[in-house]
Amino acid sequence: MSQFEADENMHAQDPADSSPTEGLDRRTVLKTGTLLGAAAVLTSKKSLAQSVPGTSSPLTPPQLCGVTPPVSPATRPFLDDLPIPPPAIPVILNPAPTKAANTSHGEAARASHQRWDEFRPFLNYRMSAAPSLHTHHADLLPSYMWTFNGRYPAPTPLNFYGVPSLVRFVNRLPEPAQNTTFGVNEITVHLHNGHTASESDGFAADFFATGLFKDNHYANVYAGVDDFGGIGDPREAMHTFWFHDHRAAFTANNNYLGLNGMYIVYDSKDPGHELPTPGSLRLPGYYGITDIPLILTDKRFCAAANGRNEVFQVVGRGAPGGDKWVVNGKIQPKFKVRRRKYRFRILNTGPAKPWNLSLIRPNGTQAPITVVAVDANFVASPFVLTDRPLTVEVAMRYDVIIDFAAFPAGTSVYLKEATAQNVGVVVADPALGLPIGNVLMRFDVVNRELLFPPDTPALPAVLTQMPDPIVPDATFQWNFTLVDGRFLINGLEFDHNRVDHVVLKGSAEEWTLANDVAAGNWSHPVHIHFEEGRILSRRVRVSQNPDVFQDLALLPEEQGRRDVYPLLPQHRVVMRMRFRDFVGRYLMHCHNMNHEDAFMMVRWDIVDSKQELTRRRQEIDERRRLAGLPPQYTQSKNGGLA
Amino acid sequence: MNRRELFSGSIGECAACPGQAGAELIPNVALRTHDDVPVRFYDDLVKGKQVIINMMYAHCEGFCPMITSRLVEIHEELGPRMGRDVFMYSITLKPEEDDPAALKGFAEMHHALLPGWKFLTGAAFDIETLRFALFRHDHIKLDLDLQVHAGRLRIINDSINRWLHVAPMASKATVLQHIAWADPPKTLAQRMEDNRKQQEQIDREVERFGYRKVI
Repeated sequence: MSQFEADENMHAQDPADSSPTEGLDRRTVLKTGTLLGAAAVLTSKKSLAQSVPGTSSPLTPPQLCGVTPPVSPATRPFLDDLPIPPPAIPVILNPAPTKAANTSHGEAARASHQRWDEFRPFLNYRMSAAPSLHTHHADLLPSYMWTFNGRYPAPTPLNFYGVPSLVRFVNRLPEPAQNTTFGVNEITVHLHNGHTASESDGFAADFFATGLFKDNHYANVYAGVDDFGGIGDPREAMHTFWFHDHRAAFTANNNYLGLNGMYIVYDSKDPGHELPTPGSLRLPGYYGITDIPLILTDKRFCAAANGRNEVFQVVGRGAPGGDKWVVNGKIQPKFKVRRRKYRFRILNTGPAKPWNLSLIRPNGTQAPITVVAVDANFVASPFVLTDRPLTVEVAMRYDVIIDFAAFPAGTSVYLKEATAQNVGVVVADPALGLPIGNVLMRFDVVNRELLFPPDTPALPAVLTQMPDPIVPDATFQWNFTLVDGRFLINGLEFDHNRVDHVVLKGSAEEWTLANDVAAGNWSHPVHIHFEEGRILSRRVRVSQNPDVFQDLALLPEEQGRRDVYPLLPQHRVVMRMRFRDFVGRYLMHCHNMNHEDAFMMVRWDIVDSKQELTRRRQEIDERRRLAGLPPQYTQSKNGGLA
Repeated sequence: MNRRELFSGSIGECAACPGQAGAELIPNVALRTHDDVPVRFYDDLVKGKQVIINMMYAHCEGFCPMITSRLVEIHEELGPRMGRDVFMYSITLKPEEDDPAALKGFAEMHHALLPGWKFLTGAAFDIETLRFALFRHDHIKLDLDLQVHAGRLRIINDSINRWLHVAPMASKATVLQHIAWADPPKTLAQRMEDNRKQQEQIDREVERFGYRKVI
């Protein structure tokens, strides 16, 4: 598996391991790094053969091509094989992770890990954010990017429910004086949508700069630990997560530069293999072989200069977005598939483009795609898309099954994106009525070799039981608006010091998400951190009377558990969620990263006593009173504020 | 091209806008200060500096006085840094009405004749150019509406090409924090020291409330 090569070297040579204890100067850091590099030679034969970007030979900062969007260079389709991000390799961390932040050894300030003794991490990973060169296509020269462990997309940590893990995010990005990109050398990493304690949740203002690191503790438990004991309610299982930088005001920039990757958690139902073990659904499940991440983004490239095709770097401010569609870091790749079922974990890493995907046969007709999971959650029963595309908003994940046994060996089928990219070369339509620009990637169907895993059984009719219905203790409404050119939630922009709503640990609430921008204007993929919610209803305003709404039937993908709630103009989405097991500061935001960076985001807090809840809610109402706004809470029967 | 791509964000961010942005992104227009001194906007006022920019006009009775008094508070907090390495610029949205004397009158009225703070006017075309460069939304309606541009602070540190924005009526602490996000880079030792202080504050909060409350 050559695509998994050399990952361990990235770990081994990481100078951040040296943890600036005394000298703290760059020289000490680098020197210790060299020692560790030398130590790595003893353990890994390949260490010196690999040139590790950003460590032994610092990359020259890119010379970018100005502020006028270029047309990306031509790229011939299907030259590259689809790369698979390698599994991240667990490491022994030095200094060892601690419950309280190890600030004297360079850990970023944070509150102590919650439930640390209960879920002491067993698997530790290191993800070092540093510059590296990445080649997006055989016809393009390398581009300067910021990546984790030298790869785009980052290596994928493969985890198990009940086996807590910890990821040490190390910041080795260039100092501002050496930085010519539009990224910011301060990061805070969010695991979307982990049931994660606040101090490990990548709160937008908890960023840390170059030279520091931060340990994010991922308990890898199901939500509902307090209610169900053990590792929580298995019906709350989630499988396909992703981690990404969440730096306030610069999330789009840093993600566009490459700071994201996938994170998978297995359990007995979805065990990461295809053998008939108890409780297994036996979905296609060998990571990288029959279970394939498809990580989508759009990019734009400068003309070749200085041995590079740099990525054009303007987001927001009227940037046109990318004109090349990138899958796992390659443009229009090809992927050899055997005549059997495959699972694809489709992820949109943004920054802003939604994807509308369909599978196209050579004769131009749409082939079925079976959806088994939405936003990391199994749907109750698989559903098949045959006549509409799969709409993947930013940050959404779809796990889909494609059965390539339906196609004869030697044929190719295509993944189509509704909007065309700029290819730049003239190519005959690969399938009837399918322009080459709309082709995201190609699947080449071959017969299964003897040693390739045989097909899995037919998909089960029932994949999961939904958790018990959520009975809300209170209701709340969030209004997403565009006022005077500002993206607001409940009339305000994000302020990391201001709490807009406080909830009680262990409680549940019904939230209405309302998008009141004019029809035809912005839709917002709203993301709520911490727990998965259930959509209760979706309504749309249908007349000039602002209070007249019409119920819309929920699509199959809206009927299960979600963490991204696409909010179309004039829509109201009513959803319910619980707040269990942890306390602290959490976020809700539009996951169009340009809107998020323009501060369409709110902070909401979880507290663990009724007294504290009342006190904090009084504070909010007092702040609102001073601003001339009506109170947000009312006196409830039991004396608290509801 | 769909609408979403066309308008991909309102006021966006540039940590380091492409090609060493400053000179490329910020018009070097000729302006006059409230003391009637001619200046070049980029060369004389922004190049290599950390600046806080807002737009206002002297007869504005809504946001501008509120924002100006908020800026006076911020000025007080920044103390000796003002005029040394941080600068404030209030640019008129109505250059036809606001000559230097009118701006000086407005500044006096708000006790804003302070070190490092200039009120600026100029040719209408130049002001419009500047407004588009600094506050553009890439939205025809929004970009032509002058009211839209009153409620926003733009923070730029040209030496590290960092652009930020903040709502001026956010809490004083928040505005100051956003200005600090554009501060010149610190050494690792300084960052470690800041980090240690932040940890102490977190520990105090956790002791008092049981969790982190403020930042």
